[in-house]
Amino acid sequence: MLNVLLANLPLLLKGAVVTLYLSAASAALAAVIGVAVALLQLYGDPVTRAATHVYLYVMRGVPLLVLLFAMYYMLPYTGIDVGATAGGIIVIALYFGAFMAEVFRAAILSVPRGQWDAARALGMYGRLLMLIVVVPQALRIAGPPFVNTCIMLVKGTSLVSIVGLWEVTMAGRQIVERTLAPFQVFGGVAAVYFVICYCLSRYGRWLEKRVSYVH
Amino acid sequence: MVAVRGVSKWFGAHQVLKDVSLDVAAGEVVAVIGPSGSGKTTLLRCVNLLEDFQQGEIRVDGEAVGYAGAGAARRRLPERVIARTRSQVGMVFQSFNLFPHMTVLKNVMVAPVRVKKMPEAEARASAVRLLERVGLADKLDAYPARLSGGQQQRVAIARALAMQPKVILLDEITSALDPELVGEVLAVIRQLARDGMTMMIVTHEMQFAREVAQKVVFMDGGAMIEQGPPRALFADPRTERLQTFLKRFREGYQL
Repeated sequence: MLNVLLANLPLLLKGAVVTLYLSAASAALAAVIGVAVALLQLYGDPVTRAATHVYLYVMRGVPLLVLLFAMYYMLPYTGIDVGATAGGIIVIALYFGAFMAEVFRAAILSVPRGQWDAARALGMYGRLLMLIVVVPQALRIAGPPFVNTCIMLVKGTSLVSIVGLWEVTMAGRQIVERTLAPFQVFGGVAAVYFVICYCLSRYGRWLEKRVSYVH
Repeated sequence: MVAVRGVSKWFGAHQVLKDVSLDVAAGEVVAVIGPSGSGKTTLLRCVNLLEDFQQGEIRVDGEAVGYAGAGAARRRLPERVIARTRSQVGMVFQSFNLFPHMTVLKNVMVAPVRVKKMPEAEARASAVRLLERVGLADKLDAYPARLSGGQQQRVAIARALAMQPKVILLDEITSALDPELVGEVLAVIRQLARDGMTMMIVTHEMQFAREVAQKVVFMDGGAMIEQGPPRALFADPRTERLQTFLKRFREGYQL
């Protein structure tokens, strides 16, 4: 019964590698977007602040699948063509970047007021103050919710199969069409996602312990 | 060393400082006392511009703090200039505010190295000396979370001293401590006073204020009500408000 799965394992694993690549690339991009948007939200001028607000509400208010459809079926009419893989990465990063922005914004805000006071009283200001006092503490606070958002992102990448990108979910659909054994094959696909996300969760736990202040 | 001239501050419509004037001479210790909400902490935070103020002038060693010009031409100085002034004014807080992600040694070294651009080796040597002075030479590599409140506060004092400030502001530095830890912190301050450090101290420890300060300032409702040498002020308060405050304080002690 598991023969179907074993016979198609190489293809499934190839898909898993693509999923990992899509996840890593879009998570990295989403983190950059998240930090930038969080900083603009907190310290930008009114115009950039309003612009990031619009971005946040659009991303939070529109499903990822609809954003992907918009990218693949509407963008070509505007003459912009970034290719399927890059397009997928960008849309996923934009979508989860909004959630990461909230994670980072909350983390910066939860650095206690007294830390800012102490740093200012010592003559720190601007970038130095952020770099030495605020960011290191904010990153510790942001760690667990950041990993959590990454887990959502990994699972979110499965949606790109609907717009034709080949990764592990798409690989599974192709195998099922050929073998007519959806139960085994999608079980395998689910296992791939589960393993990736489980590793991430464990890593998050480990990180949480490692960066706590009592050494 | 510190000259406060006619400082007023509003939070919205509520006036929290009312035309406060006050001098701290070089080497002098001035204690500011008064009921909670009297504006004494706010005044202290104005001296290094952790709080803005809307009227009046504060000078530290002759240099204007925070603002240039007067009347309509009054403007806030650039952040860079304000930061330079702050680097010459030490401050110790009620809640310690040590940097939790740095060791004790790093807490003391970080500002001299990053703000004053002191060479690392020199900053380390000076930090070790200061930590010895506050009795924490054996805690250099500990993180703040591992220390008692009294130890944390002594590190905070060393951190302020590391910048070689012209004056140190102490904001109710024993209020968050367990009673048995208050003594070790006050002992450090007593020694600083003997060494001639200029200090402005907001405190609820009347006994300590009487003992260590050359001048005591009583504030109430945002205004400076009375000031003078501690012996005279405590023994013979001239205003009714100070009489009431001291009376309430003594009664509190007897309970």
